[in-house]
Amino acid sequence: MNAARENILARVRAALRVTAPPPAAPTGQPVFPPVADPVARFTQELTAVKGELVASLPEFLNSFRLIASSVDLVPGNASVREAELGVTGCECLIAQTGSVVVSTRTSGGRAMAVWPPAHLVIARREQVVPDLAAALALLQHRYAGHWPSQLSWVTGPSRTSDIEKTLVLGAHGPKRLAVYFDA
Amino acid sequence: MRVALFIPCFVDQFFPQVGVAMVNVLRRLKIEPEFPADQTCCGQPAFNTGFWDEARPLAQRYCEIFAGYDAVVSPSGSCTAMVRHFYPLLGVAPPATYEFTEFLVKHLGVTDVGAAFPAKVTYHDACHALRELGLKDEPRQLLRHVRGLELIEMAQAETCCGFGGTFAVKFPFISTAMADLKVTKIRETGAEYVVSTDSSCLMQLDGYLRRQKIPIQTLHLAEVLAAQ
Amino acid sequence: MNLPEQQFRRDAAVKAGDLNHRATIQRNIGLYHAAVARGKTRFADWNEGRARLAQVKWDAINHLDRYLEQFARNVLANGGHVHWAETGDQAAQIILGLARRRGVRKIVKAKSMTTEEIHLVPALAAAGIQAVETDLGEYICQLRGEPPYHIVTPVMHLSRQDVSRTFQEKLGAPPTDSAEELTMIARRQLRQDFLTADMGVTGANFAVAETGQIALTENEGNIRLTFSLPRIHVAVVGIEKLVPRVADLALFWPMLAHSGTGQAITGTCSLVGGPRRDGEPDGPEEFHVVLLDNGRTRLLADVAQRDALHCIRCGACLNACPVYRTIGGHAYHTTYMGPIGCVITPHLRGRDDWAHLPYASSLCGACAEVCPVNIPVHRHLLQNRRNTAGGWQRLAFKFWAWTVQDPLRYRWAGKFLRCAGPFAKLWTDTREWPAAPAQSFRDWWQKQNPHPNPLPYTARERGLKKISSPPSLGGEDQGEGESRSS
Repeated sequence: MNAARENILARVRAALRVTAPPPAAPTGQPVFPPVADPVARFTQELTAVKGELVASLPEFLNSFRLIASSVDLVPGNASVREAELGVTGCECLIAQTGSVVVSTRTSGGRAMAVWPPAHLVIARREQVVPDLAAALALLQHRYAGHWPSQLSWVTGPSRTSDIEKTLVLGAHGPKRLAVYFDA
Repeated sequence: MRVALFIPCFVDQFFPQVGVAMVNVLRRLKIEPEFPADQTCCGQPAFNTGFWDEARPLAQRYCEIFAGYDAVVSPSGSCTAMVRHFYPLLGVAPPATYEFTEFLVKHLGVTDVGAAFPAKVTYHDACHALRELGLKDEPRQLLRHVRGLELIEMAQAETCCGFGGTFAVKFPFISTAMADLKVTKIRETGAEYVVSTDSSCLMQLDGYLRRQKIPIQTLHLAEVLAAQ
Repeated sequence: MNLPEQQFRRDAAVKAGDLNHRATIQRNIGLYHAAVARGKTRFADWNEGRARLAQVKWDAINHLDRYLEQFARNVLANGGHVHWAETGDQAAQIILGLARRRGVRKIVKAKSMTTEEIHLVPALAAAGIQAVETDLGEYICQLRGEPPYHIVTPVMHLSRQDVSRTFQEKLGAPPTDSAEELTMIARRQLRQDFLTADMGVTGANFAVAETGQIALTENEGNIRLTFSLPRIHVAVVGIEKLVPRVADLALFWPMLAHSGTGQAITGTCSLVGGPRRDGEPDGPEEFHVVLLDNGRTRLLADVAQRDALHCIRCGACLNACPVYRTIGGHAYHTTYMGPIGCVITPHLRGRDDWAHLPYASSLCGACAEVCPVNIPVHRHLLQNRRNTAGGWQRLAFKFWAWTVQDPLRYRWAGKFLRCAGPFAKLWTDTREWPAAPAQSFRDWWQKQNPHPNPLPYTARERGLKKISSPPSLGGEDQGEGESRSS
């Protein structure tokens, strides 16, 4: 496909001989208000998107028989395919949106965090960052040049409103998304 | 202050009472406007249809006719937007032109013109007045000071009425459906009158209302302000 | 009238008169607007966000060669493959060839307008390769044999009952009135497909030049399954999807989500940068990016309209457009519908065949008002019209312009027009023509005598110096100006 590449790039370069006028410059004012108390804000946002904050880990785990796990804290007894619950770590958590960032490195690969019908994240409060910008900066610092092959920003359980705009949880991914702060 | 009237072609020909009302209100405010009788059309129909070269001489003519005035005032958001925002696209720098309610509220600082019109009224935000000229509050401020007038907001006041110039006859079935939806929202308010800053919108709505035999009347904001 | 225009007029007319359709659309769009209104409170300065996104996209598009090359280099460095497709057909053939060489029998597919654009699924089907749509709305469309209705919500036009009937018919599922149960039916069925597919095909919302990653957003989770389970992942990416840096996503993601659905952020935002790495327990063995031109470089070359390529496909302009709300998505008969679709389709697919689309607008400007990247969509519609305006209409407007340049001719034209009602069938079919007033405004003015000494009316009479060439902003041909002797 080298000819196609050269043709496309040639057309792009020819088009760009003239630069379009730039848009009006941004003012530099913050787009989002500052995040006051990240952990409290995270909890609030997580709950708003129907995620769960786990108070008692043993109690939570009690309702699951088959568990796939990538963290030492929770021993697994099942494969990803058959698990009712996938237990993983995370890269960080984001207060602004109540999101959890999972990756192939922290979450046992790609499927463990998404295939089982429930997903539990074991995290530490110090992993909470205020906003998306902070999360991306952190990850870039951690992984520049050697990123995990996949990361996902997960905000609440999987959902769809495709049918009559009615919210249904657990479309293809987990129906339950829970976070337990181990520290 | 030398103020000239720019009376759009369809107001001149079909809704002269709107121009008359505007003149009466201005005189009440001790402004004696002039009317350069050579004026015809701002060129918007040609421009909107894509014929910029055909519109340009009309734009140039507008500038010549209205040269030398402190302000040109027009009872049409859409023609004002054409002059102010689109003449520069034709390479023509226009004289200062204002839509009527904009002139009253923003230029003269007047919101009470001593009008009285006891009736239930709803207001339609004409697209150019709203989005090109940024007029949302100003017409409402004027209406709120009209004695006896009860202003009831309709749902989706900002949704286009479906006129759109030649769109109304190029895609009449879409245009009419848009009018129908708008009229539904108007009826839901229980208002006796629907008021706007643009006679083009009012022509569209009025045409549909009367065809459907719905007893709601259309009025230009200038006509309401002229009432006493 | 060409075929696309005939189809458009026919189908738009049907939908415009369909009150059930209108009620469904009004309901869905009402919910959307309520969600967006609630979500607006998250922003300290929404317009600042728009200005920043506009600037990032301007940088990306106006340096697209550099960013494309950087992106491609990084994909390769991550162990992925890059293919370049000049046309939609080429892109489909690349994927087909790959599928054949790798013995692919079944493909699972995530929602992607780009894959619609290249007609991938029919091309695969013709070669005997099954491609299953996994996004719930797209899955329903596929079962029904219909194209998607809207960029973001493919089955906006269907009720629960419609969907249940489709599932009964095509899957043998029991009838149900519950959206939840319908979703579970699809989930169970599609899990089988995820497990048995050889290849997963996605689009991409953004392509990050700095890292060679693609960004994918979703709510359902099917995209993650699509790029996690099958052994090959293929992403079809329009070249305009490039953004320079990973950090840019911190603003693109929330603003795309807000404009698309009113959410703070879409349910899952993923960054994929290659096949599984050493040490990773799962993931595809191969990762392929197909970079697609298919007319985008034509739009790029049109400097005045280049920023139409800044579009991040949020769908907000569709939801804002009173025409879209009246006629729905299918009537356009294009991949990209609504206001932005009317702008780009003539460039992507041919100016003449699609010249009618930019005219199917009242130019209300609601689209530009909501666009999160500040594309002046309604201005583009005017440009599109200018690009194709001609033929007999030009003569008509020349005649019209000649008429209205002279006050006397204008007056006669006005008198004529006031009587034209019964002949203006396109108006009077559905609306009353305005009643002809007894006199025009200028008649009234001339009869009036507000002062003892009548004011001079014309510039000539005022003795003002004639400007032979009115002040101009340059850059535009002046044409012939009026030059009367003073």
